Amino acid sequence: MPLQAFSQSKPLTLGVELELQLLSTNTYDLVESAEDLLRIVGRRDHPGEIKPEMTRSMIEISTSVQSGYQSLLGELRDIRGALLEAARFLNIAIAGGGTHPFQHWGERKIFDAPRFNHLSELYGYLAKQFTIFGQHVHIGCSGPDEALRLLHLFGRYIPQFIALTASSPMVQGFDTQFDSARLNSVFSFPLSGRAPYVLSWTDFGRFYNKMTGTGVVESMKDFYWDIRPKPEYGTIEIRVCDTPLTVEKAAALAGYVQSIARYLLVEAPFRPDEDDYLVYAFNRFQACRFGLDGQLVDPRTHERIRIGDDIVDTLARIEQHAIELGAEGACKAVRDSLAAGNDAQWIRQRYAAEKSLPEVVRQQSEFWAAGK
Amino acid sequence: MKSDLTVQFGFLPPWPLEAAPSLWLAVALIAAVLAGELFARTAWLPRMSGYILTGLVVGPGMLAVTGGSPIADWRLVVELALGILLFELGTLVNLRWLGSNRWLVVSSLLEAGLSFGAVFLILRHFGTPSAIAATAATITIATSPSVVVRIAAELRARGQVTDRLMLHTALNSIYAAVGVNLMAGVLHHEFRGSTLEAVLYPVYLLCGSVLVGTSFAIVFRRVERWLGNHEEVLSFLLLGMIALTVSVSATLKVPPLLPLLLAGIVVRHIRGRPLVYPPHFGSAGAVLIIVMFVVSGMSVPLEQLMQGAVVAGSLVLGRFLAKLVGVLAIAGPSGASWRQATALGVGLAPMSGVALLLTLDTARLFPEFGAAVESALLGSIVMLELAGPVMTFAALRLAGEANQ
Repeated sequence: MPLQAFSQSKPLTLGVELELQLLSTNTYDLVESAEDLLRIVGRRDHPGEIKPEMTRSMIEISTSVQSGYQSLLGELRDIRGALLEAARFLNIAIAGGGTHPFQHWGERKIFDAPRFNHLSELYGYLAKQFTIFGQHVHIGCSGPDEALRLLHLFGRYIPQFIALTASSPMVQGFDTQFDSARLNSVFSFPLSGRAPYVLSWTDFGRFYNKMTGTGVVESMKDFYWDIRPKPEYGTIEIRVCDTPLTVEKAAALAGYVQSIARYLLVEAPFRPDEDDYLVYAFNRFQACRFGLDGQLVDPRTHERIRIGDDIVDTLARIEQHAIELGAEGACKAVRDSLAAGNDAQWIRQRYAAEKSLPEVVRQQSEFWAAGK
Repeated sequence: MKSDLTVQFGFLPPWPLEAAPSLWLAVALIAAVLAGELFARTAWLPRMSGYILTGLVVGPGMLAVTGGSPIADWRLVVELALGILLFELGTLVNLRWLGSNRWLVVSSLLEAGLSFGAVFLILRHFGTPSAIAATAATITIATSPSVVVRIAAELRARGQVTDRLMLHTALNSIYAAVGVNLMAGVLHHEFRGSTLEAVLYPVYLLCGSVLVGTSFAIVFRRVERWLGNHEEVLSFLLLGMIALTVSVSATLKVPPLLPLLLAGIVVRHIRGRPLVYPPHFGSAGAVLIIVMFVVSGMSVPLEQLMQGAVVAGSLVLGRFLAKLVGVLAIAGPSGASWRQATALGVGLAPMSGVALLLTLDTARLFPEFGAAVESALLGSIVMLELAGPVMTFAALRLAGEANQ
């Protein structure tokens, strides 16, 4: 399949996808209820889209194209309302969080659809291991070259996004010591990592044709990059975030991303540089492992800064852009969350108090339903 | 010489050897476990059927290796095992679900109502007196809690059909238990002509059940608070409290079904936290449950099978179809697919042999009852003891909810 033309989209528009956990109200383990839930939500009109995911105990919600933080938040809340009503009707609980803390991957069942069956055949246990829950943020771009430029400029902020949304400290019943252990599952895919350093759509097309020529990839969907261009939407898609515990936090992160995008496009504070990627994997690891306390190495000054402090610094730089976009609420929520700690810390605190992972998951599901 | 031998080998047991009665039960238990494994390998038969069939073969009806009445001899074990399964069933019922999905209430009432109607009409057709036919129809509303809980545990089933099966079973067991208590009053009135007793007896049974069930939950909650978050101790605590409840119920002459089911439901709801313990509280509980099914197989009244075959057959078939139609009729509005509703209808088929026999004990207060319907009911037990577990097993597998 040749590379698609890059669609036009309104610059700085927003879209969010969230993968969610479907839970049994008896055990708070994952339950294979995606088909049932889709059947019930399909009976009524609701904003956005609700779709199946790789395994039958996951579901993905996505918003329509939104211009700003407030309307995005409103739509996410409406989708949550529709989903909760259907879930309660079927005795299913729903929760955010990047991993389910105590599920066993071997028990997962692949959702019966051609693409998921194909992936399961190709990737073996990685497909079931992929029962992890992420947030994707789409940012509209006026053209493909701008999209690629923004993509590489955003590389610097990836550790921030990981640290802010990290909500997957527990895997298979144990504390991993990571704030986002989910990304470790993504890294095991052969085509994960970062996009190649090309800044024009023509060069990108050349790379893409070489890759499809090898037979390793068939479409853009086969790249599991941290940020990838999405030509059919005319967006770039940031894929490193864990699904936060509430839709409010997911919307805040999207508003923060949007404000940074405006800052990068309008002020052009620095130019993209391939050498920025020398520290990329190190910084990303720091964010996954230590969250907001991780150390960020600036590729140009070689200085180290705590990721949380780097976010404070960024918030100051983007303030005016947030105001222009009506995303002050999002930036305020991000600032508040620096003091409160990320969701990984929330999960660890609940576990320390309750000493029962099923009870932690139950509280996660109540938190998701109530919002904050 | 001979006397020397006696002196030398006097420690030997007398010849020929005489087996203790417990030997046969131990052998039966081993045979049951092996039969269960054999059945499990077919992938289409539950282990439980192996236990019941072994009981049937060694029981009074066939080999008769054990003397006496098995259900009376093993009453304590059977009641404890049943208590465990009833409590487990209670904890699997989410009452809030009924609030969010009112169609489930309709589905449950319809299924129970049709089942009552079908059995009542069939028994009337064969000439059973109304009051007695109504009592029998009430008893047979209940799906066997022990079969359903045990099969779901064996298959590690989860999903819509499993959740609905638990909910419908708990509800129809409650209808049946409450109904039988009320019917006991009617029977008192009908056959003894005592109106005061007719009112007081069901009131006593219902109040007693609610009191015992809720005290269980309150005491458990207190003890748990005192223990703190030590989930691993809860299994032992609950097992002990179930034994206590069985014993208290017996002392108060209240059938243990309702108190234990209510205890499970109330514990779940006042607690909030998910209850985490291995199925049947671990291997100790699981062994008791194997013994219970072997004993229930032994108690299957084979001789009644031929005698009441026609009535029993119509009763079983009518009851099965009524339950199936009941849940299918509400499938769409309650949010189940046709496949799921069919699986649910089939899964509800098992009838509790043990519970029924225990109820018959109570009903024997009225000799008229036993004489008229006993053979038909006992015949239907035989059929459903054997077919029921297989049906629930197949239903959960076909619904795609098994995790073997």
